[in-house]
Amino acid sequence: MEKGGPLLKVEHLTKLFPVKKTRFFEEQRHVHAVEDVSFELYEGETLGIVGESGSGKSTLARAILALTKVTSGTVIYRGEDITDFRVPPAKRKLLHSELQMIFQDPYASLNPKIKIGEAICEPMLANGQARNHDEAVKKTRHLLEIVGLRAECFDRFPHEFSGGQRQRIGIVRALAVNPRVLFCDESVSALDVSVQAQVLNLFNALKKEFNLTYVFIGHDLAVIRYISDRILVMYLGKVMEIARYDQLFSDRAHPYTKALVSAIPEPSTAARKERIILEGDIPSAVNPPEGCRFCQRCFMARPECFEVEPDFYEVEPGHFVRCPYMKGGE
Amino acid sequence: MKERKGFLYCFVRNRNGMIGFIGVMAIVLIGFVGPMIIGKPSGYTTDILLPPCMEHPLGTDNIGLDILSELIWGARTSLYVSLLAMAISGAIGIPLGLICGYTRGILADIIDAAIDIFMTLPMLPLMIIMAAVMGTSIINVALILGIFSWPQLARVTKNSTLKIREMQYIEAASCLGLSQLRILFKHVLLNASGPVFVNMTLVMASAVLTEASLSFLGLGDPDSWSWGTILKRAWQQNAVISSPNPWWWWLMPSLCVVVYVVCFNLLGTALNDCLNPKGRE
Repeated sequence: MEKGGPLLKVEHLTKLFPVKKTRFFEEQRHVHAVEDVSFELYEGETLGIVGESGSGKSTLARAILALTKVTSGTVIYRGEDITDFRVPPAKRKLLHSELQMIFQDPYASLNPKIKIGEAICEPMLANGQARNHDEAVKKTRHLLEIVGLRAECFDRFPHEFSGGQRQRIGIVRALAVNPRVLFCDESVSALDVSVQAQVLNLFNALKKEFNLTYVFIGHDLAVIRYISDRILVMYLGKVMEIARYDQLFSDRAHPYTKALVSAIPEPSTAARKERIILEGDIPSAVNPPEGCRFCQRCFMARPECFEVEPDFYEVEPGHFVRCPYMKGGE
Repeated sequence: MKERKGFLYCFVRNRNGMIGFIGVMAIVLIGFVGPMIIGKPSGYTTDILLPPCMEHPLGTDNIGLDILSELIWGARTSLYVSLLAMAISGAIGIPLGLICGYTRGILADIIDAAIDIFMTLPMLPLMIIMAAVMGTSIINVALILGIFSWPQLARVTKNSTLKIREMQYIEAASCLGLSQLRILFKHVLLNASGPVFVNMTLVMASAVLTEASLSFLGLGDPDSWSWGTILKRAWQQNAVISSPNPWWWWLMPSLCVVVYVVCFNLLGTALNDCLNPKGRE
């Protein structure tokens, strides 16, 4: 890998899910979960991915981590093609440890019949991060203390913990295999606000300690803005905007992003600035609209938006927007 | 955090479970130890059809053999047959059920079809034919029972697996790089264990019932005592309808079968309740 190049590069990644046919003679239709997504991830940064429910954020992460087979496109990690983890087994072991995921639901992501300690030791032994059981146990106890859990938790079952504690356990389980890139799939959405803040601070602290790179997926722009260096905005399976966290609030942002930004609650009593309220729901991903994906709900939409799919424009250095009216010079 | 309550704590406090457990343990103890103390009833004596008395606590049959010692030897046969049948049906049914529930594709469809076919087969006539062809021995009876009771177990395993497959912890496990085999036989099976355990105890219980019916029809092992064999002898001598009625002859083995089945069912239900850590509170 050349120096300064991206750690992870996703090129034209597409994931279509076939829709079950109801009649025999029927054209096969697909849910366009993720379509033509490209981005780069640099070492040490935190990339936030925001979007509504159903915009394909989680599917994108799952496709990169080979938890679901991609339809087309490539994933390049450290200069090597790792799409669907089609690599030799020894290399795959390394990938399984270097790319890790923290799941959304802390109640469902831990096996209810397996004790915490064992759940954390198991992947360490399977991927060779620990040579024997004793070493794994020692490391697990150490990690549990780092994330603020007592080492006695080792012999307990998941149902004995609260949501925040379980999410910490999920983090420990992912950290146990020495990951380089951590995908956090809505990892704080299921927690209440005070616990969210604790866990977010924990993420920031761990990033420094373990030298991690994050891909942070969420639907709450306030949370994503807090933790991310760069933000990728998705809508209906497509990338609408890629921006540095401060560029996201500029006038050049995509109309969808503007709507999301205006929805962030502000802790002040001053008169609120105009909120942009989007009409309707996210359209079906089976028949995505022609032209711009966002045209049906866009408050700036013009007739040509319904016909032509807009390109990606670089409106400022490092700030890409899929909207021709933000290009400037008009 | 709350005080930990282990599996044992919960199990001991479960009244029905303890009744079942004590019953099963008693049967196991009698089945293992009894035959070492009491000789195998054979030949004939002159104490024909004695009602329960001091010398013969449960009376004697028409050739003067002690019913109690017949029952004790019968317990051993029943245990042996049901354990073997359970082992065979578990060895076939659980892996097939897991694979059928976890994978998607042609293999799962084939297993599913096999389960359906086996479940629609008329069991008893087939068992009779197989027992007649294979010859009458205890191992053959157990083998037949095992071969015919796996579909039920496979179906139960499959249904639990279908639900567990979609859970996030299974995805997490494969994300952590655990092998599919390990996920299937550890992470999935652990969570499916409740219904599977219950079903295995049911298989044991029904194995005894079926063994009794096969013996009753004369397809059991004539050389070994089982509860069905005793019933068959009683039936052949018209003990059930003759008068004065030697009730101890046919009632005792029937009661043994009932107690055995009930105890195993109670034990299975209690195991299911206690194996679920969430239900222990």
